[in-house]
Amino acid sequence: MSETPFKLATRDLGKDYPGTVALDGVSVGFAPGEVHALIGKNGAGKSTLVKMLAGSVVPSRGQIFCDGLEVALSSPQDAFAQGIAIVYQELSLVPGLTVAENILLGRTPKKRGIIDWQATYAQAAGVLERMRVDIDVRARTGDLGVAKQQVVEIAKAMSLDPKVLMLDEPTSALARHETENLFRLVRGLAAEGVAIVYISHRLHELRHIADRVTVLRDGRHIDTVAMVETGVEQIVQMMFGEVVQRERPGDLLPGGTTVMEVQGLTCEGKFAEVDFSLYEGEVLGIAGMLGSGRTELLKALFGAEPADSGKVVLQGRSVDRPTPARMKALGLAFTPEDRKEEALVQAHSIRANMCMASMGQIASGGYITRKMEQAVVDEQVAKLQIKVASTEDAVSSLSGGNQQKVVVGNWLSTRPQVMLFDEPTRGIDVQAKQQLFQVMWDLSREGIATVFVSTELEELVEVCHRILIMREGWIVDEVRPETLTADELALRCMGEN
Amino acid sequence: MWIAKAVTWGKSSIMELILFALCAILAFEADGFFSVDNLLNVLRNVSMQGIIAFGMTMVIISGEIDLSVGSAVAFAGCLTAYLTESLAATGLGLGASVALAMLGSLLMGFAVGALSGFIRVRFGVPSFITTLAWMTVLTGSAQLLTGGFPLMPFPEWYNFLGGGYLLGIPFPAIVFALVFLLTHFLMGYTTWGRSIYAVGGNAEAARLSGIDVARVKVVVMAVVACLAALAGIMQSAEIMSGAATTAKGWELDVIAAVIIGGTSLMGGEGKIRGTLIGVVFLGILVNGMTLMNISEYWQHVVRGVLILSAVLVNRANQ
Repeated sequence: MSETPFKLATRDLGKDYPGTVALDGVSVGFAPGEVHALIGKNGAGKSTLVKMLAGSVVPSRGQIFCDGLEVALSSPQDAFAQGIAIVYQELSLVPGLTVAENILLGRTPKKRGIIDWQATYAQAAGVLERMRVDIDVRARTGDLGVAKQQVVEIAKAMSLDPKVLMLDEPTSALARHETENLFRLVRGLAAEGVAIVYISHRLHELRHIADRVTVLRDGRHIDTVAMVETGVEQIVQMMFGEVVQRERPGDLLPGGTTVMEVQGLTCEGKFAEVDFSLYEGEVLGIAGMLGSGRTELLKALFGAEPADSGKVVLQGRSVDRPTPARMKALGLAFTPEDRKEEALVQAHSIRANMCMASMGQIASGGYITRKMEQAVVDEQVAKLQIKVASTEDAVSSLSGGNQQKVVVGNWLSTRPQVMLFDEPTRGIDVQAKQQLFQVMWDLSREGIATVFVSTELEELVEVCHRILIMREGWIVDEVRPETLTADELALRCMGEN
Repeated sequence: MWIAKAVTWGKSSIMELILFALCAILAFEADGFFSVDNLLNVLRNVSMQGIIAFGMTMVIISGEIDLSVGSAVAFAGCLTAYLTESLAATGLGLGASVALAMLGSLLMGFAVGALSGFIRVRFGVPSFITTLAWMTVLTGSAQLLTGGFPLMPFPEWYNFLGGGYLLGIPFPAIVFALVFLLTHFLMGYTTWGRSIYAVGGNAEAARLSGIDVARVKVVVMAVVACLAALAGIMQSAEIMSGAATTAKGWELDVIAAVIIGGTSLMGGEGKIRGTLIGVVFLGILVNGMTLMNISEYWQHVVRGVLILSAVLVNRANQ
């Protein structure tokens, strides 16, 4: 490896977690002066790789080389010592401190034990000057916009004079022109000989910023290609792979009756003018990238977040002042994206969780016993094939897939007319996914409609009758899954068609 | 097999076992402990705090707390006395005046608690702070009502509510038993109880399950304050006056009993039955130590140490 010009390189790097292989056989090198993009779907292994390079996750196997010499990065300090710095997606700045203090956090120059302000400001200004950005080092960090905070975050990393700078989704919170400024900054740093590792899921950015691209899929290193020789379509293909598509059963046809109608639903800054109808027995997909407003839309439909204008019509009547309790009474069910925080009481039993939404149906006149609950719980456990030792065990003892089934079973017992699923397949295994799709199809056969939001576009293509495409808060398109593939759908979601 | 079963049973009933052991020790060590009269006496002593403790259990399970129950007891007693006096002065019969005054106090308690709950859900002010404020407001109001001297407008029969016996059992103990049964049923066998556990376990998950979180919190806060008012009425009946200085520090005894009973201060977990054990445990401890002529100073120290030990035992058990 010693003859390579790479500043930082890996050979056959892998990481196992109990039950899963997060990353396997990754051999990649980062050269000084290049912007090297790391790309892949959720769970592809991007962040695992980056964390290993930053010293915060220890590899299970494989080697890491710095300047051709093998190194062990067992802590973030080890990585710093090798000149590797990382800027994480979540900003880590202290809003109450000045820009200079944040840049030099923990390393502010001191004179006789007291902060030497003059030196602090001068040093921080020096870092910013080198980056050719104009930010007042005396400003309170919390008063800056997100874009400038992002720059301060990068300056903080640059103040360590790193040879490798890793940026984790740096543009996720930025507007377009801010993104361009950031790109200029990143290019400038690369021109000085810093190796930039750029993690993103925004494909359309790559053309503007990346020299080379490494694609990961399901923890495997698919390929590393030069950006000038590669089209976005090719990269999308590498990201998604050859997907074996299961057929949706042919007998499932949506009926003619409208069960839910959404008219001009708007929530300032989140989504705008959303119109659609949902038909009896229909499985309707909503496709969109992170931040497209799909989660917010679903929450608003369920009355969990207030909308500013527009209305939701259920059973022919417009619902005023919707709340989750009211929407539930009107036959809506909702499984939230964040299973752990929003759908389950982790410390409570599987039984209690499975009766949380449906206790009104299980009880008679408010009277409820364990026996009454148990009958319903046992039915759902059998129907959804939930693997449990005892339904009195804490729900936290279950795997992600089984936890999701508990949430779904809970709502099925409410006998809903419309099911809203937000990212139901996140973090669950393949088999559980297929069972979940089967649930949607079974519901469809009973005439119950489903709205299915997912980042996993191939799932939408596989499962849905119809797919709405959401971009920056707007529904921009409506497609039939028969007419396109998952990667074509991905391109449309990103506005690349 | 039966050993494993016994261990499981022992673990789930650890506080019962400790209570039993305490009773066994006291039966031998403390003269006069193991007599019907003394045990009924213990029951009477714990019943007023116990009534509040059952309400407090619901509040703590829902993820809130009420620090104002002690002052609410004093305030309700004074309010009942004050209203009785005022109503009787208008020419209304004494009996009717007392009845209306009691009703007024209960409603007042309910309203105070509901307001704390409302402030919690509407403005996000923690109940710890709101009820801390109520604590001084209610103490001050009780003193304003009485002018610093106990009010004694009550008719003879009123004493029954705090000091009377029915079929040989102290009347407050009967109320205590009724409130226990009622709250036990509510928490174990109704959708209301299930909702309270869910809200305390994860309020956002409860909300997204279509549970009206705000209503649950307002109602439990109102219920505990109402039970405190009920205890206040019985207390004023026992001493036959409305005095602003009664029930000082009760909130801590009540919360201690709930915690000893295994209810988690984090919310979402706990049992009314556990609180019953906690209340009786504290009552017997005080009674036993008094019978053994242990000085009051030592009693405080022992009580504190035992409260902490009980919590540690519960924690280790989970």
